[in-house]
Amino acid sequence: MTALLRTEQLTCRFGGLVAVGDVSLSVQTGDVHGLIGPNGAGKTTFLNLVSGHIRQTSGAIFFNGDDLGTMPPERRAGAGIRRTFQNLRLFREMTAIENVMVGLHANTQSEIFHSLMRTKKQMLEERNIAEQARESLAFVGLAGSADVVAGSLPYGHQRLLEIARAFVAKPRLILLDEPAAGLNGAEAGRLVGLIHRIKAAGVTIMLVEHHMEVVMRACDRITVLNYGKKLTDGSPADIRDHSGVIEAYLGTKRGASRRGADRHDTQTSTPMEARHAAP
Amino acid sequence: MKSAVVRVLVIGAFVAAPFVQTNGYWLHVLCVALIGVILALGLQLLVGMAGLLSLGQAAFYGIGAYVSAVLTLRFGTPFLIAFVLAGIAAALSSLLLVPIVRLQGSSLAVATLGFNIIIYLVLLNEDWATGGSFGLMNVPAPRIFGYVFASDRSMYFLCLLVAVIVYLAMERLVNSRFGRALKAISQDEDAARACGISIDLYKSKCFLVAAFAAGIAGSLYAHQARYLNPNDFTFNKSIEILIMVVVGGLGSLPGAVIGALIVVVMPEYLRSSGELRLILFGVLVVALVGFRRGGIAGLAPVLGQRLAQTRWSRWPKISARGGPQ
Repeated sequence: MTALLRTEQLTCRFGGLVAVGDVSLSVQTGDVHGLIGPNGAGKTTFLNLVSGHIRQTSGAIFFNGDDLGTMPPERRAGAGIRRTFQNLRLFREMTAIENVMVGLHANTQSEIFHSLMRTKKQMLEERNIAEQARESLAFVGLAGSADVVAGSLPYGHQRLLEIARAFVAKPRLILLDEPAAGLNGAEAGRLVGLIHRIKAAGVTIMLVEHHMEVVMRACDRITVLNYGKKLTDGSPADIRDHSGVIEAYLGTKRGASRRGADRHDTQTSTPMEARHAAP
Repeated sequence: MKSAVVRVLVIGAFVAAPFVQTNGYWLHVLCVALIGVILALGLQLLVGMAGLLSLGQAAFYGIGAYVSAVLTLRFGTPFLIAFVLAGIAAALSSLLLVPIVRLQGSSLAVATLGFNIIIYLVLLNEDWATGGSFGLMNVPAPRIFGYVFASDRSMYFLCLLVAVIVYLAMERLVNSRFGRALKAISQDEDAARACGISIDLYKSKCFLVAAFAAGIAGSLYAHQARYLNPNDFTFNKSIEILIMVVVGGLGSLPGAVIGALIVVVMPEYLRSSGELRLILFGVLVVALVGFRRGGIAGLAPVLGQRLAQTRWSRWPKISARGGPQ
């Protein structure tokens, strides 16, 4: 087993707030790696650091052995890191298939000149990416919605469309930021199946998710963050029984938890998360 | 199929126009309108596709016009070469905007406005090249392979030809990897970057293409009007181009064409109203824009929908979507 993604003492501060502090973890090639923790634990910030949308304060990210340094997100996308966003970030006025075709931007070459002249290469490329986009739409189950404007798709389908846009480029690593948010039980179940199929296609996945059933069924390994720090990592079974994890989500009886000592506790987990967290 | 028919009809109407309206003055107005179409198509790419609000298109228009005029007047450069160089010069000058393309919304608008003012001042003050406030006189009529476009009608057809080519070029661009990247950027920059699109690079390219279009429009204008004055290229002209795009409908290429025709032809048409004409024009612009966000191009689908809805509501009982409410 080799680590596809490895972080070393990754830290990101916003002013005085340590959103991610000294997090070292590695994601093994071919795994579905979960990243969980209460609200404000720094999960999304962690994904933003990996995708390059936010610059780290200190620490390093290694992808496939190479230090990503200050590489901008568009080049990381080209290197094989794709992502979805927590609050849907589709190109709302474009059709579903156009959205997915944009996902292939880094994998195509046609320039202004080629498009103006309609060169053979450009025509071929257009046909190829349209075909790949259709395959990707079919893969997530949106084959029938190719020509629908993205913004008018039902919510659950918009989530799937974002995954199709990330998956179409056959990246090495996909970062999924709360793909189950807002999905109903049946849809969440199908999502687990989709994640397994993406994994089977040879793509490593990093999954940030609150929906515990999805996390437990989909993940090979899980890292728990709390207040920006790594609490623990292990297999789903380990995490389920880890007392610190339950404490992080639910708090302790007396409120004299570890986190209460050095921080003002403004974020308690919602009953919703608590329900998901309870094993 | 339907769109092909529409195309043939529209082109046919444009070709027939100078035979129906043979008055020299109106042919001149139609030429200016077609040049406006080219300008509007360029700005449509910036504002309508990439969401970049530029108030500096008249600067590129002016650069193209002066480059073409000076080359033919002073150096006897053949028109075709001057025409292409005008576009290239305007495109190259757009590279000056590279440092500011990352500005957003109104900041970008003001920065491009500043660029327009600078270019205007250069045209006004560098008399040795531009003739200063006296302008450039006796710009030769276009001459291609010995044929001189001296008559109003031949000039009209030259403008029409260029406008059609620019339209088809824009259409290809909009439906290409480049066009999709621009649309993606305008709708969500973070998501566009996550797809591998370099924002600054694509915005700069977009400015480059729009500037090229404005540059060749300028060249046509120089050889059509035969006289250039810096006052033709103030930011008023930039705003006029923006009105064309907004009135026609943001994001729509046919809209840019319709908008340009309205903005150029309407004030001339209203000329009989005397002093009132600009006020009337202003009211019309407000009405057209206020009517619907999509401009005139956005009207057609709405009208279609209205018609469809009327039919549904007339026979609600036959609706197949019955069943429990």
